[in-house]
Amino acid sequence: MKHPNETQLALFAGGDLGFWDRWRLRQHVSRCSACESEVQSLRAAAKQIRELSGEMPGDLNIDRNWDRLAEEMTGNIRVGLAAGEAIARFDRPAPNAKPLRLGWNAGFVVAGATVVFATAFWINIPQPQKDHLIAALGKIRVERLGKLVTSHPAARPEDVMLEASSSGIEFTENGRTLSLMHPAVDQRRVPVTVSVNMRGSAGVRYVDADTGQVTTNKVYYAEQ
Amino acid sequence: MPSNSTHIAKALLPLLFGGAAFAGVLPKIELPKDSPVAVLSSDYGDSSETPRGGAMLVDLHASITLRNSSQRHIRGITLLVTAQDVTPGGKGSVTVTSLDVGPNESFPVRVDLRLLRPLQAGGGGLVQIGLDGILFDDLSFYGPDKLSSRRILTMTEWEARRDRKYFKSLLADGGQQKLKDAIMASVAHSADRPTLDVQMVRGGRATNFEPEKQVQFAFLQLPDSPIEPMDGMARIAGNEARSPRLEVKNRSDRPIRYLEMGWILRDGSGREFLAGAVPAELKLAPGQKGQILDNTTLKFPQRGGAQLGIEGMTGYVSSVEFSDGTVWIPSRADLGIPQLQHVMAPSDEEQRLVQLYLKKGIKALVAELNKF
Repeated sequence: MKHPNETQLALFAGGDLGFWDRWRLRQHVSRCSACESEVQSLRAAAKQIRELSGEMPGDLNIDRNWDRLAEEMTGNIRVGLAAGEAIARFDRPAPNAKPLRLGWNAGFVVAGATVVFATAFWINIPQPQKDHLIAALGKIRVERLGKLVTSHPAARPEDVMLEASSSGIEFTENGRTLSLMHPAVDQRRVPVTVSVNMRGSAGVRYVDADTGQVTTNKVYYAEQ
Repeated sequence: MPSNSTHIAKALLPLLFGGAAFAGVLPKIELPKDSPVAVLSSDYGDSSETPRGGAMLVDLHASITLRNSSQRHIRGITLLVTAQDVTPGGKGSVTVTSLDVGPNESFPVRVDLRLLRPLQAGGGGLVQIGLDGILFDDLSFYGPDKLSSRRILTMTEWEARRDRKYFKSLLADGGQQKLKDAIMASVAHSADRPTLDVQMVRGGRATNFEPEKQVQFAFLQLPDSPIEPMDGMARIAGNEARSPRLEVKNRSDRPIRYLEMGWILRDGSGREFLAGAVPAELKLAPGQKGQILDNTTLKFPQRGGAQLGIEGMTGYVSSVEFSDGTVWIPSRADLGIPQLQHVMAPSDEEQRLVQLYLKKGIKALVAELNKF
């Protein structure tokens, strides 16, 4: 007789073969040390399982309810697989999941503290330092951006209304100018006296070298 | 009313200068029908009109000869110059002071005007010249007075009388040498007096680069001044000074309707210069206090030198007008205060007398002082 396969040996070890097959395999095993060793190994494993199943609840005893134990094991495997998928989802962001609120809350706290600090600092800083700070920030802004962004009502070039200089006086409006000059003698301007009135006029006074006559030229804003 | 000479000049100039466009430069001279002066002649010699980029530069050099058609001596005159089509928001004036023009005598007035206007603007009727006021030797006044010429000419006349009296007293006390010494001292002061170019901006600061600080005024106390400066400050940023605020008190027994405060600035090196005048039209009863506020910014551009850093300010009362029209000006003794003497320009009359001495000598000056 040729060697029986593993299934026949397992059934023989568990006493689950029919009469004729059991007799035939017993004859072979008694003469074949390899198959006898395999049968002894299977019977030892079965014994160990029975001992372990004795520690489990009564309805899961392997001798009494194998199907129940199989169902329990299948269920445990499914639970394990589901837990693995859940862990995998936790590690990668879900497509439509909302961001966690913790980051925003922390941001609000930091922003609030900054506002309180800045307000307290601004209220308590002396005016000269405040002015200096504004000017310094303005300079930084200009240096970094290369362009002055004015929020202060600084005058634009077209707002320069009146100018008095040794060469004459000038009124500028929208790029158009009206100037009153004083004469030159031998290509040189005669000495003048420049005056400014805060009410809105600028003047230049000169003495005519020939006639000795004193002339004052002035330019005014329209309101005067 | 336009004079005949103006019409003739307008007709002849295009022929003389070979261009019809030049006729647009000619000003329109209009004097009231009852004006105490009349246009005798007008000369527009070197006037020109040249395109410059996208604009037209109009150079007007007018010499207008006026004749005194009244029976009184003219002491001063102000002509109003406007260019409504070019700068409707601004105007100019030409004032001639320290005159002594008798009846039927004539005198010249120079108007050197430069206009920069867009090429599209029309060429005709650009400049109008009118009369704003004339002051006579009896301090009477004629004219529409749109530029407060009455007050300006009257104060100038009071300064002229003060200085003539001063120089005449020197001549009487110490002879020609003392007069000569005083004139030379005046020349020296004028040479030493610092002068700066000034830009005036209405409203906000001209720059926001420099930190701004509030600076308190110090005051020069002039013993006879009817106004007592009490307190004052202004905002300073680099080479800008703005928004002066002054508190004053009328310590005279007469109501006051106008006053001017002189404003002296001091830079980091201690150099002082006169920034300008802060005027105020107010009604101050005897003993009453008042405030002068202004929202103007003065800027002192440095041409090629280090930026001017303003460190301190001094104020003084430069003129007062009482409600009855009489005026107060600093005396010669007040002007002798070193700080004031260093920065204040001489009066128109003093400058004229100095020029007369430099050009014609001491005899001509003495003869001039002996005229009136």
